Amino acid sequence: MGVGVGVRMNSVAVGLSRDLAPKRVMRAVAYGHDLAVWRDGENGLHAWDNRCPHRGMRLSHGFVRGDRLACLYHGWQYRKDGGCAYIPAHPGLEPPETIRAQTYSVIEKSGVIWVSTGNDAQGVDTGPVSEPLRSLTFFCAEAIARAAFEDTPFAGNLPQVESTGRLVAGGHPVAVLANPVTESETLIHVLTSAGVGIAAKKALSRWCEAARSVAERQAA
Amino acid sequence: MSTEYARNDWYVVADVNQLAAGQVVETRLLGQPLRVSGSPDAPLVTTADGTALPAQLRYDHIWTSPGADPRPLPDIAEAAERDRTFVPCGGVRVRCSPLRAVENFLDIAHFPFVHTGILGEEPHTEVAPYKVEIREDVDEVWATQIGFHQPQAAKSATEAIETRYEYRVPAPTTAVLYKTCPPKPEAWDVIAIFVQPLAENECIAWPWMALYDEVTPYADLVQFQQEIFLQDRSILENQKPTLLPLDPRLEIPTRCDLTSVVYRRWLKRKGATYGALTTAA
Repeated sequence: MGVGVGVRMNSVAVGLSRDLAPKRVMRAVAYGHDLAVWRDGENGLHAWDNRCPHRGMRLSHGFVRGDRLACLYHGWQYRKDGGCAYIPAHPGLEPPETIRAQTYSVIEKSGVIWVSTGNDAQGVDTGPVSEPLRSLTFFCAEAIARAAFEDTPFAGNLPQVESTGRLVAGGHPVAVLANPVTESETLIHVLTSAGVGIAAKKALSRWCEAARSVAERQAA
Repeated sequence: MSTEYARNDWYVVADVNQLAAGQVVETRLLGQPLRVSGSPDAPLVTTADGTALPAQLRYDHIWTSPGADPRPLPDIAEAAERDRTFVPCGGVRVRCSPLRAVENFLDIAHFPFVHTGILGEEPHTEVAPYKVEIREDVDEVWATQIGFHQPQAAKSATEAIETRYEYRVPAPTTAVLYKTCPPKPEAWDVIAIFVQPLAENECIAWPWMALYDEVTPYADLVQFQQEIFLQDRSILENQKPTLLPLDPRLEIPTRCDLTSVVYRRWLKRKGATYGALTTAA
């Protein structure tokens, strides 16, 4: 079992903080919602419904200008609060307040981006285990993906499960965060601690791939 | 989903080059498999059970209609002007509603962002007021008096020009654009889009041009138009919902979207709802 088991969670880990640079947009999924997650020029983080209210274009294909996200299709610009600020086809027009991108609550904790469909995103504090190792997509349900980490040996031994829900694989602490994208697709983020060396990280990375094989074989 | 209206329109299912090369084209129309064979002058379109559908060669494409009582195939008078260069550009398959593909063709405000440096560029983003009407006598949507700054309006353009546009929609999946011809500003270049509905959420766009351009090689003309349609595809495959919403509350238009607003209203009024989302917000 990974971090968060037994904890009542209102947020889901959609990505690693390091994978989203300032003034960049990425697509993410939280609780079945298609999202555009973006950083403004001051590193502020935003998670929106992935749809421009004008013609339905995915905002994850858009671009950031200063503290606004612009839609790729017609360049409509949205402020951080989701309100439309500028319509390039009509530079003199003050866009009506009713043109708004739908916003979600988002925070960063433990090197991870967490999104809630409510109004109070909370991340899990993974303590010292907050060094991002990698993200992987498992083509299986969340429960199968989580269980596979416990059932996959690292250097011949099964990992230990700590009371926190974290794992210890080959002496290295590991936190496994799962984001169920669909019934048959799970996005997994794996964290370890900052002290783990490069050789151990490589070994842990191979172990994650082995866990994926175990999970996907079971799901097949 | 209703194909009732759609069945009695004509659709492109192949281009002349495919049949001239002796190809047998396995394709689909309104969800049904079709085979296109024969020669350009004697095309043959058959359904899965071998039934022959009406077939004709017009505008360098093979057209068919599965309906019992097809409406007339739209007339494009410029096709008879012998001094034009006629360019079938090949098909671009797009995973979107055929109606979304037509609506995108009627849109000019996206030029600076999607066709950057070709059909538009910042800061020339403003869309001036223009006219849109449904011409009741011919039952067509017309948008006129459109002007837009274009860095390279056509392959034949040597500098940025203020291009004049007129759009005409004679059928739900057929649209014709008349635009300033760069080397012959008193004349219109004609660019049409014939959209083949494979299904409600999948289509092939067949661009066709009738230009005054005796200089540019055929391959370059096709390349120019294909590049533009591939840019459009990246938009069209990322619109949600995939179907075109006819309820005006589902997507928020602004003034420059008047052509789209009237096109949607016209489709709704006719019951031309194949590829449309008809449920309310």
